[in-house]
Amino acid sequence: MENAAIFGWALLWILFWGALGGVVTPRVYARKDLEISQASFGGAVIGAALGPFSLLPLWFATPKITSRLIGIAIAIVVGIFIAAFALADPDNLCVANGGFVISQLANGIVIGIIYGLMALGLTLIFSILGVVSFAHGEFYMIGGMVTYFMTAEWIPGVSPIIAILASCVVTFAIGYLFERIFLRPMGSGEIERPTEYAILVTFGLAFFLQYLTQALTSAVPVKAQRFFPFPRTEIPADSGALLKMTPGNVTVFDAISIPNPRFTAALLALMMLAALLWFLYRTWVGKALRAVSQDRQAAAVTGINPNSMNTLAFSMGAMLAGLSGASLVQVFSWLPQVGIPAAARSFVIIVLGGMGSLPGAFLGGLIVGLVEAAGTGCIPDATRAAAYIPAYGMVILTLVLLLKPTGLFGREL
Amino acid sequence: MNLTPMGTIRALATALILLLIVGCAPDSQTPEESQSDTSISQAEKAPEEGDSEQPAADPIRIGAFFPLSAPGSVVGGEAMRDAMLIAADHINANGGLLGRPVELIVVDSEGLPERGSAVIERLISQDRVVAIAGGYHSSVGVVAKEVAHDNNIPIVLANTWNDTITSVQYPQVFRIAPLSSEVSAVDVKFMQWLRDDAGARLEKVVLLTENTDYGIPAAEDTSRLLAEAGIDSVTFGVDIGTQDFAGIVERIKAEAPDLIMSLATGEASYNFAQQAADAGIGPQDVPTLCDHNALESNSFWRNVPDGNYCFVRRIGLPAQLYNDVALDFLAEYQARTGKEGAESYAFAAYDAVRVIAQAIAEAGTTDADAIIATLEGITYIGALGKITFPVNSSNTPEQAGVDPKWWHQFPDPAVTVVQYQHEGEDSVSATVVFPETYRTGDPVVVGQ
Repeated sequence: MENAAIFGWALLWILFWGALGGVVTPRVYARKDLEISQASFGGAVIGAALGPFSLLPLWFATPKITSRLIGIAIAIVVGIFIAAFALADPDNLCVANGGFVISQLANGIVIGIIYGLMALGLTLIFSILGVVSFAHGEFYMIGGMVTYFMTAEWIPGVSPIIAILASCVVTFAIGYLFERIFLRPMGSGEIERPTEYAILVTFGLAFFLQYLTQALTSAVPVKAQRFFPFPRTEIPADSGALLKMTPGNVTVFDAISIPNPRFTAALLALMMLAALLWFLYRTWVGKALRAVSQDRQAAAVTGINPNSMNTLAFSMGAMLAGLSGASLVQVFSWLPQVGIPAAARSFVIIVLGGMGSLPGAFLGGLIVGLVEAAGTGCIPDATRAAAYIPAYGMVILTLVLLLKPTGLFGREL
Repeated sequence: MNLTPMGTIRALATALILLLIVGCAPDSQTPEESQSDTSISQAEKAPEEGDSEQPAADPIRIGAFFPLSAPGSVVGGEAMRDAMLIAADHINANGGLLGRPVELIVVDSEGLPERGSAVIERLISQDRVVAIAGGYHSSVGVVAKEVAHDNNIPIVLANTWNDTITSVQYPQVFRIAPLSSEVSAVDVKFMQWLRDDAGARLEKVVLLTENTDYGIPAAEDTSRLLAEAGIDSVTFGVDIGTQDFAGIVERIKAEAPDLIMSLATGEASYNFAQQAADAGIGPQDVPTLCDHNALESNSFWRNVPDGNYCFVRRIGLPAQLYNDVALDFLAEYQARTGKEGAESYAFAAYDAVRVIAQAIAEAGTTDADAIIATLEGITYIGALGKITFPVNSSNTPEQAGVDPKWWHQFPDPAVTVVQYQHEGEDSVSATVVFPETYRTGDPVVVGQ
């Protein structure tokens, strides 16, 4: 980094005024008997954006802190951050190479969509059952394993779509059985300390599934072939300047490059998301699920059986994780422990998006995907940039817990 | 006790799960398997007087550690485990040691130093092993040597390359794997040869390394030697077990390297190679020196279907120079594993157990100091060739005028570079391209 001081001072500005805004603003609003639910987060981002130039008017005028105001402030903070980085390191690929930036963004969005799908399952389970499933990563792993074994070992040549459907069926069935046998007693009052029980029993399931898979399949990594290889195409035909496809990659405008397995995985994830949204918003059962997530007693009064919704939510959550794994087994080498980092990332995403919020999970997935891509692509020290990948999620988690513990779309506790 | 129908189902489910766990345990590679043992023949005679703490009727226990779970290199660990089991079987088939059978106690290091340290401690304190063999990841080897030293237990490391493992000159630590710095020197010689003799354009090399005791010093040595050879290099670091290389692959692409060298182990090496191939800078697009995990051909081709033209560094003699020990081992290994060939670390693992066994037999006791003293002067003809440790307490590095890294170090592991030139090819039959002495074909230099 050529001018590290510029970047350092900008960071210091953001942190100092952000912290001051986050601490003082709720007190100012509380003294005037105003709504303070957004005051800490709003004050922090508004302070980080323009420092005293925004904080003083905020404290004197005490306007209502709306989502729009917070959004503008966040955009300014991001703008300052990017400008300071560009000034500090003008030769960085993220500054000097537009094609590289767009490729990184595209990769971040593509992987973020899949992260979002997986986190969606976790947040669906939490919103209905109030349980954080620690076995979510194992459902992801099983989804990938079933798809791999279907396409490569058991029925070579079978359509990947059938294999993916099979993985959905298997993960749904395991989720169904597990909920009926081990989680249902929580709803009937048989369990004295349901929160601790849920943590322990899902942990137990995680270990069981992981080591059972290892015993059955070995721990040697496996990988499915590309589901739908691209045809070799060049537009225009002689140069491929507009579009160039090889079986493993598509390059647009000779700059934006997306590998085939990620592209098809994201496409599958988007299709599944659309189907899920249709199910949740257009069918009676989906509406019943949402009703239970909003008010369990009220839903029961209207004739919805909350226990059935619990079972359905857990099974669907497991299936969504399995589907994510089934999509990604053509991207990553797959082994019984593959779900551990994926599950950890999902926890970050649902906290970021707001526990129990479906749109929050999807947006959180996109944000984590983009931050990981930006961090890996832009951190000047090449020897550390990729090694920090797990840390990017943790930084986001820490910031969210500090500034907005309910997450982007979370309900107030 | 009255059970409701659901309670009955739950009880049955729990019982089924327990049964499954118990039923699967013997074949599993869970950490719990680290307790699992491989008892071998029943040859039992009265022990020699002066034998160590193990009771007379007990078998002689040798500890074996390697990664059998992620994030460690499971491919490497399983190959080493199979090889060591064959070694133990061969010893027992010949009557065991000192009239007692040999028992191999297998533990899973998971490729993690903290896990490795814990399981080796357990081998010594709980399983009472008389010596230890194994090691795949250098980071585990580095802590293993400390535990062995603290407990005065001889250890023979089979596949850990970090120079510091021997340079600290612990009496208990022996190594039959090559030194990292020496392998780096061979790597750079190979690249120089590609440039100077094979006509490849080679101005810039990208090193992708894992941030471990194997990857960091190897990348530093390679980078320094490349600079001396007039070749630029850029190093990218990743953590062990990294899955997603998309961002790094784009950065590597922007560097426009003439050669990419991977110093990542385990499934990370597969993930990198295939994701690079998907992005258009794989082994078929840019000359790529893959990590030696690529030697496990079945696993490599399953995970890296676009891995053709990978160069792979191979330790040990090439197939045309295999001796009788190597051929016997290879036949048994092929029969047991169904593989077409044996990986270099499998040969080393086999020899690690056999060299310990020979030391015990020559010492006539399982006393640690006696085994160490015998190992220092041993001449063992194994699958890797003639193994000796010429720099030792009676010929210290100072006396021998060599770097301390040569302490208790097998000086002659042959290093060759092979290249896959046909999809699905087995690593044993892959073309040896370097050095000239062993060459069986010309390299295919892609993308130029």
